[in-house]
Amino acid sequence: MQAFQQNLAKLGAADTQVLGISMDSSFSNQAWAEKIGVTYPLLSDWGGDVTREYGLYNPKYKAARRVNYLIDKNGKVIEMQLDSAAIDPSKVVQACEARKLNR
Amino acid sequence: MKRLLLALLLVASLLPASYAADETPQPKIKVGDMAPDFTLTDQNGKKVSLHDFKGKKNVALAFYIFAFTGG
Repeated sequence: MQAFQQNLAKLGAADTQVLGISMDSSFSNQAWAEKIGVTYPLLSDWGGDVTREYGLYNPKYKAARRVNYLIDKNGKVIEMQLDSAAIDPSKVVQACEARKLNR
Repeated sequence: MKRLLLALLLVASLLPASYAADETPQPKIKVGDMAPDFTLTDQNGKKVSLHDFKGKKNVALAFYIFAFTGG
């Protein structure tokens, strides 16, 4: 999530809002955001309803799978990365910048 | 002895079910799908919805496993 913070200006310039989401409480997210300097929203899916709706609930860890989605302005998913591939946001950044150039 | 065997058999029959529960979840939402809307609370107590950004911004939605972990 720190990697998204480092790319926040680039993503913002490409008309993209970053949202983190996990099954942590807002209280944990607040402490963590302060610790690592995240300024974008970290959303609390306490109970996991949204995580389940996206099919990402892992019963082994009682938590979400690590997945990035890039959703366009119409609400459609245009990019997706799973697990370790989701840690580096450069593909998301590239996709956003490419869309801006093509407009 | 017979009871022990029966107990072992019962345990063995339960094992595959517990392994199945360990399987990595398969995403229901994929490229080309509409992202289901949600309204959740951020770290500052503010409500944020996916539809807030509709027609305005793309959204990079990053599901992470736990706070206080890498990635």
